[in-house]
Amino acid sequence: MTTTGKRTLLGYVAFCGLILVLPFLLRGNSYLLNKSALYMALAMATVALSFTWGYAGILNLGQAVSFGIGAYAMAMHLKLVASAGNPGGLPDFMTWNSVGTLPLVWTPFHSLLVSVILGIGVSVLVSTLIGWFIFRARISGVFVAIITLALLVVVNLVVVTEQGLTAGWNGITNLADVTVGGVDIGSYGFGFYYLVGITLVVVLLLGWYATRTKTGLVLRAINSNTQRARYLGYDVAAYETFAYASSAGVAAIAGMYYAVGNSFASPTFMAVPFSLSIVIWCAVGGRRSLIAAAIGALVVNAIQGALSSDLLDVSNLVIGALFVIIVLFLPEGIVPEIGGAFRRIWTSLVGYSGARPHTPKERMPGQGTSKFTGGQK
Amino acid sequence: MFSFGTLLSGLSIGSILLLVALGLAIIYGTMGVINLAHGDFLMIGAYATWYLQKYWHMGLIATLPVVFIVGCIVGLVVEKTVVRYLYRRPLDTILATWGISILLEEAVNLGAGSNLKYVQLPGMLSGDWVLFGAHVGVYRILIIGIALALLIATSVLFFRTDFGLKVRAVVSNPETAEGHGVNSGLIYAATFAYGSGLAAFAGALVAPIKSVSPTMGIHYIVDAFLVVVVGGVGSLLGLFVSAGIIGEMESIIGFAIDDTTAKVIIFLAVIAIIRFRPQGLFVSKVRQPS
Repeated sequence: MTTTGKRTLLGYVAFCGLILVLPFLLRGNSYLLNKSALYMALAMATVALSFTWGYAGILNLGQAVSFGIGAYAMAMHLKLVASAGNPGGLPDFMTWNSVGTLPLVWTPFHSLLVSVILGIGVSVLVSTLIGWFIFRARISGVFVAIITLALLVVVNLVVVTEQGLTAGWNGITNLADVTVGGVDIGSYGFGFYYLVGITLVVVLLLGWYATRTKTGLVLRAINSNTQRARYLGYDVAAYETFAYASSAGVAAIAGMYYAVGNSFASPTFMAVPFSLSIVIWCAVGGRRSLIAAAIGALVVNAIQGALSSDLLDVSNLVIGALFVIIVLFLPEGIVPEIGGAFRRIWTSLVGYSGARPHTPKERMPGQGTSKFTGGQK
Repeated sequence: MFSFGTLLSGLSIGSILLLVALGLAIIYGTMGVINLAHGDFLMIGAYATWYLQKYWHMGLIATLPVVFIVGCIVGLVVEKTVVRYLYRRPLDTILATWGISILLEEAVNLGAGSNLKYVQLPGMLSGDWVLFGAHVGVYRILIIGIALALLIATSVLFFRTDFGLKVRAVVSNPETAEGHGVNSGLIYAATFAYGSGLAAFAGALVAPIKSVSPTMGIHYIVDAFLVVVVGGVGSLLGLFVSAGIIGEMESIIGFAIDDTTAKVIIFLAVIAIIRFRPQGLFVSKVRQPS
């Protein structure tokens, strides 16, 4: 393993360690535990986006489609559990919308396991189909962004319109707690926090592993020169579809946790502002590194959470301005910049002769030339 | 199932889409910038119309040129402060213009309030004409006429004037154009301002028939993107035809089934079209985004 690889791994270990000890730093404050768990769910969706965007170069503006599908799958299950006492087990909003019997598409969601499988499965299926169509057509760059944005708008519109099935604008509210094997996980305690935290750690480590496999290498090759990757005989569309669909699966899991933590799922989870927020977090942290993306999501959400309690009116202005400034001046994101600054200080203090010249490419994990052999073993 | 009135309503939807898509395509075609704030230029146009009508008591038609200029100025400011630093980073323009979009929406939200605004239609334009046995709003016909006039004006501007020649020179090769004394920075700024002005103009036109709100832009911009994707970037005729098709689909399917189904079918149709004609229906050569 190269020095960059070791340093990256060290970063992952430190970050994961911090996730594990944070509840003790928060002294078990249940409100903060819940907030942290929610932010980690958002971080998970952002990590998934950085896998497609930072590594494979697919700017998916519709990440919230998968996130929302996951959230709704989980909310449908928990709503059915909460409605068990109602006549016919019918959720309240269906009665309000004069839906007499439980619709057929809702029936599988009685089971938690089936709901989880469906939530992930439907997201993966939808993105595989869309991805297969657009990547086979060699659509790339900004057009992928436009198509995924249009997909997002259409899905959102359908969810809002189908009131009898989705509760429309209001979303599915008043959900039950998740119970696995008779144990109530809740959403305000250590149990839920660690469930989300450990999933995030697993996602990060799996993602880190994936970027170091040959598939990860090919994805980066496609990002830096699609045409050449194609000439070398790689099935570019298949790799791109894989990245897009696997990212969708992870985003769906994140959406499920988000629904559990909030005790509701609403169309805002798959609205344009939310979906582009995921892109913002990813860009602010640093799109070319999974962990930087996660940090971006956590930091921006923490700041926004703190701002919006005091300055509700201007918090969006601050976020918008921050974003424009970061795109203009720190296009690689804040985490690689801070990392680079630390390295410069370290080098000047210790006079570490082994340090290589400081170039933008060197700062991105997995972008240095030494990594070229690193992935192939 | 559908009447002449439905057809004409589709044409008027298509006309608005055409104006928005025209600006998007000009800006993308000239400088490779995807402008997510374009819908907000439309929104600003609508708010400007509301403001001029409410506080300056101007008639709708009189506001149109003013709103166009307001749109140009806002576009110019955005180009000069942000967009011009991103000409070599097309994906980043999506991000930066989204940031601008948030800023514009929040600014309008704080300045004018988030409640819906309504713009009055002048009495002489709010009537109906009976054409081929159908009642047709006079205003819808006016929209179609204005959009066609602007399409023609735009094509004259880009293909028959000295300015248009310079724009096309910069598009085909910025370095060579600069070598011949064309100020490419000025051309980019002017083109961006013109595209923004068109969006604001479209906003003024829809203001009397739709409710005006800070987030109204997003609906138009996504449809307009689809128009650009189907029509192709390099072809004004392509934009014209695809705006017509998408407008008609929205109107006819919306009338026969409902608006949501119309959007779903349009989206699926667009995906199917680009699967086989990724460069758009009407462009013969592929334009590779750099």
